[in-house]
Amino acid sequence: MFAGYQTKKRVNERYKIVGFISSGTYGRVYKAEGRNGRVGEFAIKKFKPDKEGEAQYTGISQSAIREMALCTELSHPNVVHTVEIILEEKCIFIVFEYAEHDLLQIIHHHNQPQRQAIPARTIKSILYQLLQGLVYLHRNWVMHRDLKPANIMVTSSGKVKIGDLGLARLFYKPLQSLFTGDKVVVTIWYRAPELLLGSRHYTPAVDLWAVGCIFAELLSLRPIFKGEEAKMDSKKTVPFQRNQMQKIVEIMGMPSKDRWPLLTAMPEYGQLSSLATGNSRFHRPQGLDNWYQTCLKNNQYPPGAGPENPGSDGFQLLQQLLEYDPQKRLTAEKALLHPYFSNHEKPSENCFENSKIKYPVRRVSQEDNDIRTSSLPGTKRSGLPDDSLIGRPAKRLKEG
Amino acid sequence: MAASYWESTQRKYWTFTKQQLTLERKKVEEAERNLVTMYPLPDRRLLSIYFYHQLSKMARPLGIRQQPLATAQVYVRRFYTKVEIRRTNPALVLATALYLACKMEEYPQHIRMILAEARHCWDTSFNDISKIGECEFTLISEMNSQLILHHPYRSLAELQTQFQLTQEENALAWSIINDHYLTDLPLLHAPHVVAITAMFLAVVLKPTQSGLPVHAAGATNALQALGNARNSPTQGAQNRVQKLVDWLAESSVDMEAVVECTQELISLYEVWESYNDKTCKDQIAKFVKARGLDK
Repeated sequence: MFAGYQTKKRVNERYKIVGFISSGTYGRVYKAEGRNGRVGEFAIKKFKPDKEGEAQYTGISQSAIREMALCTELSHPNVVHTVEIILEEKCIFIVFEYAEHDLLQIIHHHNQPQRQAIPARTIKSILYQLLQGLVYLHRNWVMHRDLKPANIMVTSSGKVKIGDLGLARLFYKPLQSLFTGDKVVVTIWYRAPELLLGSRHYTPAVDLWAVGCIFAELLSLRPIFKGEEAKMDSKKTVPFQRNQMQKIVEIMGMPSKDRWPLLTAMPEYGQLSSLATGNSRFHRPQGLDNWYQTCLKNNQYPPGAGPENPGSDGFQLLQQLLEYDPQKRLTAEKALLHPYFSNHEKPSENCFENSKIKYPVRRVSQEDNDIRTSSLPGTKRSGLPDDSLIGRPAKRLKEG
Repeated sequence: MAASYWESTQRKYWTFTKQQLTLERKKVEEAERNLVTMYPLPDRRLLSIYFYHQLSKMARPLGIRQQPLATAQVYVRRFYTKVEIRRTNPALVLATALYLACKMEEYPQHIRMILAEARHCWDTSFNDISKIGECEFTLISEMNSQLILHHPYRSLAELQTQFQLTQEENALAWSIINDHYLTDLPLLHAPHVVAITAMFLAVVLKPTQSGLPVHAAGATNALQALGNARNSPTQGAQNRVQKLVDWLAESSVDMEAVVECTQELISLYEVWESYNDKTCKDQIAKFVKARGLDK
């Protein structure tokens, strides 16, 4: 067309790259400072071209389009703020506000050098802010679909912000079943049972299951359902995630038709009964209450009811988030009304309030600071990769 | 209607008054005075009809449905409020808008398929996916990545239940919504206003008699009924229309806007009578060829 695409804004004129933060399937994230009157720190996400080393325009991937459009449209204190999007010579950059921490890093800090529980107040505030962001997303018909500790940012002033809308999408009236678009979503440990059982029409409830898993992980400092991912076979059929389902059943017990009426309609329902054969823990599951009590004891939360202990309200909330039946699972709106958030002490707007713990700042590496010409995205791993701290399994399959 | 419309970029950045829109377009034309005088073009609505035909031709073999088509039409309209059409190759802009719209509306198509259909539909010589890829950057950049659209179809679905529209009425209202993309209405009014207008017209026009497309004369009757609603809410008109008119009068819907939409549609149907495929095609080809925009 006419004179071709003319870049209006240039990354390097507007930002000074101070270091490399992480890489993933999508591309790379850099830390930057504003230039020419722009003040503050930023995180800049550079999208990977569809094919590595591509020297010409090949069309932008659907997930990048979704993320650009959603980031532009959304605005909420508990969703990472998008400053601008820069399209410059075949590259796409999304400039975000900078967050010093994320939940994965916070959990990691409490695991080392020796285990020390995250204060109950901090957890309450984190959950409260996370749910407020989620209410906003769901009210705007946006499912996140990839909530996990690494995607929940926390600023140095204790504000929690949902990040990485790379898998998010609008859920009203999709033209195609949600299943056909992207084969599998959500990091396996946070994946809702209806997804594991092959549900084709899933709902925002998948995000609430993930919130339940994150709540449990904040309490115990370990993923509650740490399954091993079954890889796609050569025929590219989506395998049943047997091990992940096992991990859930070992604590929660088998889902039943009585409590989850549509269970038998799930495509992988047949697989479920075969799980039980030869596994004694299925018939005597640990039980979520048992798991919860053990967890509070191990992490030495002070006994008795009070703001220093997540207490029985916390258990009830967790139980209602980790509800098998997606229709019975709490919605984000209902979760915010749970007594857990009103009893004892109201959650603070700053999750670090009254906490003496000092968290380390985000590590940035200096080895790749040229955002325009950097080596092939996603090939090098340095700095703090977003998913490799405690041996995270592979996250998601590329969209089909 | 989605709660999110009120906070949307569509409402905040892409809804104009008539005066604003005229002014924007004037600015764009002024910057290319020579081109504009050298290459006259048909009425914008006639061009829009031509564009719609071309988009449908590309869409049909790929099984692309109405919603992505509607989105593509709005993208094209937005784009041409910011970029003078005579500086572009419309064939490329349309193909790219469709490619982008399909991704946004969750019906993705391979860029090669879009290219093939574009080449099939237009006498054009671009033969490289990188052209579409590059134009995609231009489109997104001109639209500031504001790609999420709110269409009247969802509001119509809600109205259909509320007013128990017959299948014929609903089909007619749906096709009136399709028609409104040929006008500036998507840049002027909220989707629910367009949906209400479409429903109202459909009920007044009684689809069994009029058939498709809607005729200007029939729509004028509707305008009269609306006028009655504003003046004396209980006069004339049959039962069903009366019920609607009363509801409109009592609701918080902006009546002036509904009247304006109706008028805009009436004048579209009038102008449509003079539509000629070849004129549009030739006049576009003239500046494209002369300026080598198809290379």
